[in-house]
Amino acid sequence: MTRTPTGDLIRPNRKTNGVGVQAEDTRICVVMVGLPARGKSLIAQKVTRYLHWLSIPSKIFNVGQYRRSETPAPSASFFATSNPEGERLRRAAAEAAVNDMIKWFQRGAGLIAILDATNSTKERRRWIQNRCAAEGIQTMFVESKCDDPDLIMSNIREVKATSPDYKGQDPEVAAQDFLARIQNYEKVYETIDEDELDLTYVKLIDVGQRVIINQIKDYLQSRVVYYLMNLHIKPRSIWLSRHGESTFNLEGKIGGDADISERGEAYARSLPDLVRRCGDGRKLTVWTSTLKRTIQTARFLTFEKLEWKALDELDSGVCDGLTYADIEEQYPEDFKARDEDKYNYRYLGGESYRDVVIRLEPIIMELERSENILIVTHQAILRCIYAYFMNVAQEKSPWMEVPLHTLIKLTPKAYSTHEERLKADIPAVSTWRGKGSSAKHAEPTDEERNSMGKNVGSGH
Amino acid sequence: MDTLLTADIMANSPRVRRRSSVYVDAIHDLPEKEVMAPAQLYSTESGRLFHSGRIVIATVGLPARGKTHISVALARYLRWLGVKTHVFHLGDYRRATMGPGTDVPKDYFHINASPSSVLLRNKILKKCREDIFHFLDHENGQVAIYDAVNAISEGRRALAKEFAKHQVQTLFIESHCTDERIIEDNVRNVKISSPDYKGWSDELAVKDYLARLSARIPHFETMEEQDLHWVKLINAGERVVVNNCAFGYLSQRIVFYLLNLHTKPRQTYFARAGTTKHEDSYKADAALSEEGKDYARKLTERLIKHREQERQALIDRGGPENALVPMTVWTSTRRRTIETGQYFAKNGYAVIPRSQMSQMNPGVCEKMSEKRIRTEYPDEVIKHEADPYHHRYPRAESYHDLAVRLEPIILELEREQNDVLIIAHESVLRVLYGYLMACNAADIPKIEFPRDEIIEIIPASYNNEAKRIHISDVPENIIPGSPENISIPVPPSVPPSVPQSGAITPLPLPSGAGTPVSGSQSPAVPEPGSRPAGTPFTVPQPLNLKDTHIDPSS
Repeated sequence: MTRTPTGDLIRPNRKTNGVGVQAEDTRICVVMVGLPARGKSLIAQKVTRYLHWLSIPSKIFNVGQYRRSETPAPSASFFATSNPEGERLRRAAAEAAVNDMIKWFQRGAGLIAILDATNSTKERRRWIQNRCAAEGIQTMFVESKCDDPDLIMSNIREVKATSPDYKGQDPEVAAQDFLARIQNYEKVYETIDEDELDLTYVKLIDVGQRVIINQIKDYLQSRVVYYLMNLHIKPRSIWLSRHGESTFNLEGKIGGDADISERGEAYARSLPDLVRRCGDGRKLTVWTSTLKRTIQTARFLTFEKLEWKALDELDSGVCDGLTYADIEEQYPEDFKARDEDKYNYRYLGGESYRDVVIRLEPIIMELERSENILIVTHQAILRCIYAYFMNVAQEKSPWMEVPLHTLIKLTPKAYSTHEERLKADIPAVSTWRGKGSSAKHAEPTDEERNSMGKNVGSGH
Repeated sequence: MDTLLTADIMANSPRVRRRSSVYVDAIHDLPEKEVMAPAQLYSTESGRLFHSGRIVIATVGLPARGKTHISVALARYLRWLGVKTHVFHLGDYRRATMGPGTDVPKDYFHINASPSSVLLRNKILKKCREDIFHFLDHENGQVAIYDAVNAISEGRRALAKEFAKHQVQTLFIESHCTDERIIEDNVRNVKISSPDYKGWSDELAVKDYLARLSARIPHFETMEEQDLHWVKLINAGERVVVNNCAFGYLSQRIVFYLLNLHTKPRQTYFARAGTTKHEDSYKADAALSEEGKDYARKLTERLIKHREQERQALIDRGGPENALVPMTVWTSTRRRTIETGQYFAKNGYAVIPRSQMSQMNPGVCEKMSEKRIRTEYPDEVIKHEADPYHHRYPRAESYHDLAVRLEPIILELEREQNDVLIIAHESVLRVLYGYLMACNAADIPKIEFPRDEIIEIIPASYNNEAKRIHISDVPENIIPGSPENISIPVPPSVPPSVPQSGAITPLPLPSGAGTPVSGSQSPAVPEPGSRPAGTPFTVPQPLNLKDTHIDPSS
């Protein structure tokens, strides 16, 4: 941890980010280590997405992308250690990536950079360590080590055959070439071992079956380790649904603990069938909030159910039980202030979206650990969870339209999260209200829908 | 708690005491039912959080590896999060069974012990295990920490199997040292506070301890079992190996906490910031007044003098020249706290401002008198009085909000190896003190930090001790003041009653002064030292704490 020099007393009063992570003194380069097809890019992406969601600026520097600009579709022989030209180009790509990363830190653009490459030799790792140390950047090596051939092959089929290197090639040929490429790396690969005890590192063996953590230097590093330990790479999906239409929805009131309406009841009855249609018979676990409307909505599902207090709707404080029109009338300044910065606005005596993200953090950790989960919850909560998986910016997430009586299926893939929406054929009121619009719920126009939905469709 | 301990163990386990006072570390009190913990985010009917089932955490390691420290620290953190946790020190059961002054047979820890020793061992183990099951089955307990040596692989397997029969997961935490210096330091620390050595001379205690390491427990197998859940902390957390632990949010969270924990002893001091020119304004972020600067100087001189005395005392007892660990000063990013720290900076101490340590935001109550708050927000005042810890005034933060915001600071405090002086607003000091002393959430808003005292928290493996260092010549009028605070119903600190002889004063009476009695006749500004008639003490008389490490059993 960099210490503030004595005497440098008054520093800018920076805002804490949402989770209060003590990040202001720390710049960390997370260096991925591992053979190809060990899920390095997946880990890198998840970590950045998680950090963004927690308001910690971070960025991935993928050495493969630098190399690709020189050699767009190399064959396995390019990666042979006996190929000096290949070796030179790969070295140049690594240098370019590290240089850009250091510039990025120098600009003050972020706190955590992720260097995504195999970094398979001790010599390469030492070189990165020295470059970063010279700039006062901490390094944290994250090695993903896995020797299970089935796991590796399934990763190759799913991810690598669709990699930019193999664009337009026969997937089976691509997979074989990729195996040959891995064999070339294996010849020189050195796992992190006792020689490198002075480095800060995390070694994830067989997808977290065993984890070795060495020389963790500060809180932020421990937090990243904590997140890494919760990850798994088994294929799964997450289903999200709001509760069925409630009597409060019908009256346009927010908050409360109302029962579901007749149409809400119809949605609850149709939910098992809706889940069957897009759940391909998988066994799910259902999570609801502790409020009646989500429990009622989930009650016809035959899966195991858990009630989470943390999934309760955003607490609207004094505005609980009011309509938007009431709020505009009784708290006109608040109504305006909320429109200006909805993410940070905290209802009088209630919560902001930022507050909700903090309380949802355990849910996100648990979701990362779990497999197939169906969450029945509330509009604001669903927006925050959706924002995490789909990497939606904070300015946008509180304004997203998440209609009632619609089941959303999210399937995390290596490079993005795949989304499907299944609408139940049961009408419901809209509870969406556009920014700066009048104080009532409305249907978004096509244009508004486009600006919130389409550009958030990828996990990138 | 009475259900937990049989009479003989009760009589001989002074450590397990009823929650009596905020001035006593309550980490060994049984958690109370139906009370939200300081940083608890939600509650459940079963009382179990994070949808984790019941867990036994069993420590593994030879003596003097910091197992008890780890057990207690972990319990402190889990309780802070609201997880019902209790520590079962097998050593307490051993001592309770043997009675005072009697030691277990020499072959007690041996694999091939005599039948009578095995019988005794089994009796003690059985009692401890029964209590663990009782806590988990009938006291809504979620995590039982079983503090024992658990030296043999076979025994660990049997333990995990037995708990599994009761649908309880077992997580082992091994503390493993390859660095002799850490072991020696631990021996030095453990011998001071462990009741095993009550009444022994230092030298004999160290000798005995080292002998015990090799003779009493000749067999020890480090954890390598692939199928068990375990965490191995090597050299006090320098390196951590985690095996097969992905069985619950809670287990991962425990690992996260352990990554920040170390077992080296260090002190934490708490001090208030000086007074400012615009006492009543939160937004103004005012600089120190002349009076405030004078206070900052006196605080600095007093603490430096105190540390010099401590150092001399340690040297007199045969400690090295650099007997004290260095001290770092943490302030918030508010101007008054940074300026209060500047005299420390001038004396060469590192002063680090931390943004999360900003005081509680008073929201709409800023610059308002108590009377005005009562007139304008009568409903809020009623709510606040019902639950001063969790209630937030409009736009304000509650103590609970503050506790959640301070969690990273708590982990950083665990991580810190230097002594730390925290200069912060009273609201922040209350919450941090509440963590270190395992206070009830309801008590936290009432803890008092008068300006003429520095509070020192001394860690020991069994429990923390608090001690107050008097600063003389602090003007009476600035001692209690916390006017920038939400002025009701959290009272400003009152001056201490009568300073005792010597530098160390007894803790001030926990007065209810300023706490409005229900109704609205309470005086807006309490007379210093006064207590509204008829307000009973909510906390009994505090202990008089002495100037030394205190044997908690005395």
